[in-house]
Amino acid sequence: MRIPALMLLAALPATARADAPAPLVPSFAEETATAGITSVYGGDWEYMVGGGAATLDCNADRRPDLILAGGSNPAALYVNDSTRGGALAFHAVQSGLEQTAVLGAYAIDVDSDGISDVVLLRSGENVVMRGLGDCKFERANEAWGFDGGDAWSAAAAATWEKGQSWPTIAIGNYIDRTQDMFPWGSCTDNWLHRSDGQKFAPPLALKPSYCALSMLFTDWNRSGTPSLRIANDREYYKGGTEQMWHVDPGQPPALYTEKEGWKRLRIWGMGIASYDLNFDGYPEYFITSMADNKLQSLAEVPKDGAAAKASYADQAFARHAIAQRPYTGDDLRPSTAWHTQFEDVNNDGFTDLFIAKGNVDVMPDFAAHDPNNLLLQRADGSFEEAGDRAGVASGKTARGAALADFNGDGLVDLVVVNRRETAQIWRNTTTGSGNWLTLQLHQPAPNTDAIGSWIEVKVGDQVQRQEVTIGGGHAGGILGPRHFGIGPATKAEVRVIWPDGTAGDWAEVAANGFFDLSPGQAPAAVTP
Amino acid sequence: MLRRHFLALAGTTALASTLPLRAFAAATDPRDVLHTWYRLVLELVRHTATYSPPVASRAFAYLAIANYEAFASGGGMQSLAGQVNGLTPVPAREPGAYDDALLLHAVMSDSVATFFANTGPTGQRAIGSMTEKLGAKLSAGVDPDVAARSAAYGKAVAKHIEAWSLTDGGADVQNMGFPMTWTLTEGPAHWVPTSKIVQQQAPLLPDWGKVRPFAMPAGDACGLPPPPEYSEDPASEFYLQAKEVYDTSKTLTDEQKAIARFWSDDPMLSPTPPGHWESITLQVLQRDNIDLAQSLDALVRVSIAVADGFIACWVTKFQYDLVRPVTYIKRVIDKSWEPLLITPPFPEYPSGHSSQSGAAAGVLTAIFGENFAFEDATHIDDGIAARSFPSFMAAAEEAAISRLYGGIHFRAAIERGLDQGLCVAGHVNALKTLG
Repeated sequence: MRIPALMLLAALPATARADAPAPLVPSFAEETATAGITSVYGGDWEYMVGGGAATLDCNADRRPDLILAGGSNPAALYVNDSTRGGALAFHAVQSGLEQTAVLGAYAIDVDSDGISDVVLLRSGENVVMRGLGDCKFERANEAWGFDGGDAWSAAAAATWEKGQSWPTIAIGNYIDRTQDMFPWGSCTDNWLHRSDGQKFAPPLALKPSYCALSMLFTDWNRSGTPSLRIANDREYYKGGTEQMWHVDPGQPPALYTEKEGWKRLRIWGMGIASYDLNFDGYPEYFITSMADNKLQSLAEVPKDGAAAKASYADQAFARHAIAQRPYTGDDLRPSTAWHTQFEDVNNDGFTDLFIAKGNVDVMPDFAAHDPNNLLLQRADGSFEEAGDRAGVASGKTARGAALADFNGDGLVDLVVVNRRETAQIWRNTTTGSGNWLTLQLHQPAPNTDAIGSWIEVKVGDQVQRQEVTIGGGHAGGILGPRHFGIGPATKAEVRVIWPDGTAGDWAEVAANGFFDLSPGQAPAAVTP
Repeated sequence: MLRRHFLALAGTTALASTLPLRAFAAATDPRDVLHTWYRLVLELVRHTATYSPPVASRAFAYLAIANYEAFASGGGMQSLAGQVNGLTPVPAREPGAYDDALLLHAVMSDSVATFFANTGPTGQRAIGSMTEKLGAKLSAGVDPDVAARSAAYGKAVAKHIEAWSLTDGGADVQNMGFPMTWTLTEGPAHWVPTSKIVQQQAPLLPDWGKVRPFAMPAGDACGLPPPPEYSEDPASEFYLQAKEVYDTSKTLTDEQKAIARFWSDDPMLSPTPPGHWESITLQVLQRDNIDLAQSLDALVRVSIAVADGFIACWVTKFQYDLVRPVTYIKRVIDKSWEPLLITPPFPEYPSGHSSQSGAAAGVLTAIFGENFAFEDATHIDDGIAARSFPSFMAAAEEAAISRLYGGIHFRAAIERGLDQGLCVAGHVNALKTLG
């Protein structure tokens, strides 16, 4: 007997069950032509990476607004005009963010004044823009002591270190862009901008640096102190690897070591998404790359309060989450993956996974027609591809993306930034989806958005957990309310583990509502 | 410390290289052109996804032959036309003077663009930039007629070699060399996938043994006897060789680990095994200030040797289709065992690194002698320290045993791989080149 290898492939996943119920396939309607989004991520070599999308609420109307990187074109801020449940509608405003050479953006309330500020990642000087309200921003590098440097920056992450009233921002830098013949091995230093009172201290170089394309402060071991994960592009580093740094208060950053369990992994790291997929309290990490992507889970979940070892097992193959090559069309060359984000797009209580895909430029070894992925999670923890059936299998050259409920109907929508082509936006029009909750954290200054919290949503015996972070994805991320699908449940219990470690009380909330959550207070229903 | 010399060009990192540079008195020494281009080529091999070791070895061979033939036509060197399979004489030179540096630059510019057409935007940018900037530097002060004649001839030779290369059966590599479908051979003795990477559920380049060799009369000209018969009997030779791999992995010294990693030469993370031997050759040529003709001769011999070494090896690999140690050891000895190195995605017997290292060492020994000591700093930029060797064969033997230390090959594969390489070297050493 000769065994077809590809049949073996289908039989291998250990966690996938043949009898697992098929998830509801969502429907997305592309509304690019009517939604008012016209942004193009333009430019040549210096813009082969980046192209981030960020969400924030810049006018306090509880609707997510959009920042889209423009590369050689100006960045754009789009104010959300969508009505609840209606078509997606945005209009561009002059905000002060219309700068060129922007690769990405992350929103963050740096000065804890309740108004979101923005970090612009650039080819050149990075700029921190202070939010003035009503979607206006002004440069704050000088006022806040932020040294924007002069590099090729495509990654950022932020946290509030314990005892600090000012955030720590990590910036990920790519290759030395002045090197045209021998750029390999020219990765420039990443920077850690820690606080110095109510401003930033001079940036600390994170040595060694290996061409970061995504960073995320994440409390991977639930110690209460987040570490800094970095996805690095092996195309350009020499002697490098994926990295994770201890960033302990008052201590210099230190790399996790083999002795601590950290294993050398060399991939084209481009994006990071995290979510507690298996409900064990510890986040899984999806790392995008070229060809095979990685889905990492703690190799050994600690028992009886023991400390977790920083070792991860790759579950992408077993869970059908590799997304290695296009799944539509005739182009079967390997894929190139960028932004990634976990969101429950069909509200069944099992978070799903979006991956933006697109060739670097003209790389003949990799797919030119490379549709974005929408991997739906089944109840058994495995994933199935639904991008084509859901209507989001665009073959344009994608980079950044954001999934958020733009029209307040409880369904997560999608915007994707494309290289050299107009960004695309889709409205989630799924019928028959499960129920949902949208939860927005607030706490007194500092850290008004409670970055570093864990939101827990309990339905029956199952607890979903989302870590509230700034960072990850590719060159952009969301700031604002967090979405949970809860399936057929008509109510759920929610609580927050706040950044200081305080666990809030469980509180019952009705399904299909928006709630503000604040320390020591009952959930407050709100209307967007 | 080895000394490397490259042409310093505006906008390059040449001056910032880890290794110290030596300024040549004449900026247009063609050897500087040679080494500058090869520095880029070694990067392109590393950074072009198609360039698995066999594919890389093929590119090295054609590049080296193009360079060699461009100068052989000028006299004093015997053409390889009629000596290597299928090569016809390159165009004759037009009368008149030639500038060697510009000629070499023209050959490399076009050949690198051809044989690295699959490289990405950064590689394309680097090729374009080097073509333009180095060309401008070399042309300065050269008679325009001489410059034009040299460039035109270099392009003609490159075109001739490209046309020849298209007929060897190795030009079209799809899906990075992995078949889209594959049927495993029945039985526990045979290869099964060892990774969870989707592409690698099929073996790399199963038809590479059919690629036209250069110096060997045929791909199977250096065949090997079968590996030890598969058995799970603890008294069997097969079991004992697997147990040796297992036991060695449990007692690896720091030196053995260093050796395994030094020769790991992973695709896309290094210049690959054939690139490693190209690098060794280039370092020796620079260290000893070898003249241009001898440099071209050494490079063409080494390049043909590694290319034919991979062809011979691939014939044998798919003839026997042997299981990898990781599969056998997990099945029979210890299901939790993991080797130090990542197991390559193709059958075990013989070891590719051993075959091509034996071939390379065989030709380098013929050129430079039996006890030619050298230092190898190939991986210095990756933070891997240089290693010193008393001879080329000592280096090849270390490369071979490194695969046992790494847990990816049995002893038979490395010892017979070396034998196979030396057989290949014999064919290459029979080529008439200088003199």
